[in-house]
Amino acid sequence: MHRCGRRPRRGQQDGGLVNLKGFFVATLQSALDLGIAIPDDVLRHVTPDVLAAHLPRPLWARLLTACLGAPRVDAQLIVETLGVPNLCEHVPAPIVWGCIREIGQRSLEGGVVIATAAASPSRPISASRPIPLATPPPPPAIEPKAAAAPPPPPSTPNIPTPGAPEAELDASGRPRVPPGQRFRPSSSGIGRLAANSSQRRPQAQAAPPAPPAPAEPPADRGSAPRVKRGSTEADFDLETYVGGKDDWKNALAVEDEQLVDWSASDETVTNGDELGRKR
Amino acid sequence: MSNDQRQAWFARVMESGLENDIFAPSDVLAHATPDVLASHLPPELLSKVLSASLAAGSMTPERVLETVTPELLAKHLPHEVLWQCIAAAAARAGVNKTVGS
Repeated sequence: MHRCGRRPRRGQQDGGLVNLKGFFVATLQSALDLGIAIPDDVLRHVTPDVLAAHLPRPLWARLLTACLGAPRVDAQLIVETLGVPNLCEHVPAPIVWGCIREIGQRSLEGGVVIATAAASPSRPISASRPIPLATPPPPPAIEPKAAAAPPPPPSTPNIPTPGAPEAELDASGRPRVPPGQRFRPSSSGIGRLAANSSQRRPQAQAAPPAPPAPAEPPADRGSAPRVKRGSTEADFDLETYVGGKDDWKNALAVEDEQLVDWSASDETVTNGDELGRKR
Repeated sequence: MSNDQRQAWFARVMESGLENDIFAPSDVLAHATPDVLASHLPPELLSKVLSASLAAGSMTPERVLETVTPELLAKHLPHEVLWQCIAAAAARAGVNKTVGS
């Protein structure tokens, strides 16, 4: 809240307070909502240094948590995580006003928001995002390269879509590599995780068979480990399973001295069997 | 950005400035002078302003802005005029002293 300066005005004649931050919030929020401004415009003024100097630690913790959990850190993430009210609350008013002033002047000049977002080489944090709304990560990087990749075939004007399954050979007879694998090997977008999930499943399934083995007595099943999910050893597993059943029957064979006198004992049948089995 | 978006934004800014006492109706009319209003407001709106003032017995900036709402201001007046009003209010509040132009 700022006290009004030089001129008395309605509600301020007695030194009333000007709700400057409320004005800033409404102005900046509506500019973002209406597409007059994009989060990059905000972060051009509310720089990381400004945030470091003025943002409270709990908000920094929230911001760091969001950044760590996000596949991509950009101005939109920062602005959405902190929120315009928090930004206007903690960032000095001249800085917020500088942002609003730039938005207003650009608006008067008829500037295009998307053009200013694309020309953002000086921004260290955010990769330029032309549209503030959520866009799927792969298309911006894939489509231009995929279009420029096959120069030889002039007779095929239709460019295959990145996600669509296509023929193994293109028009020139060369094997075509899926563009997702060529251009985005190390990124961690959710969409890419879903796309590559089929490649990771065999690795995940290789682990589970290991735990059951130590639980079994090694002497009985040593030569026939219960690997039921191996794709090439299914028949062998069936045979060893039958054999294991025979071993189990042999293990149940008890001698006379192991028998329990039923009339003298309250133990149940299962206890007797368990005794025999344990021996 | 489209003109509709810009217009909606200026309307919102003007509305918020009045709500939050960033500027008063008199400040608006200091920039949206009678000449400006007469040049840009449509005849029916001018008529309505005059009718309301006649009914109330006086024409005050508040009464003018009751008729010429922020939406109508943003719709009919040049946005440069509105921006001058906004920027002047910001300057009075002292928020642009440390920000280089």
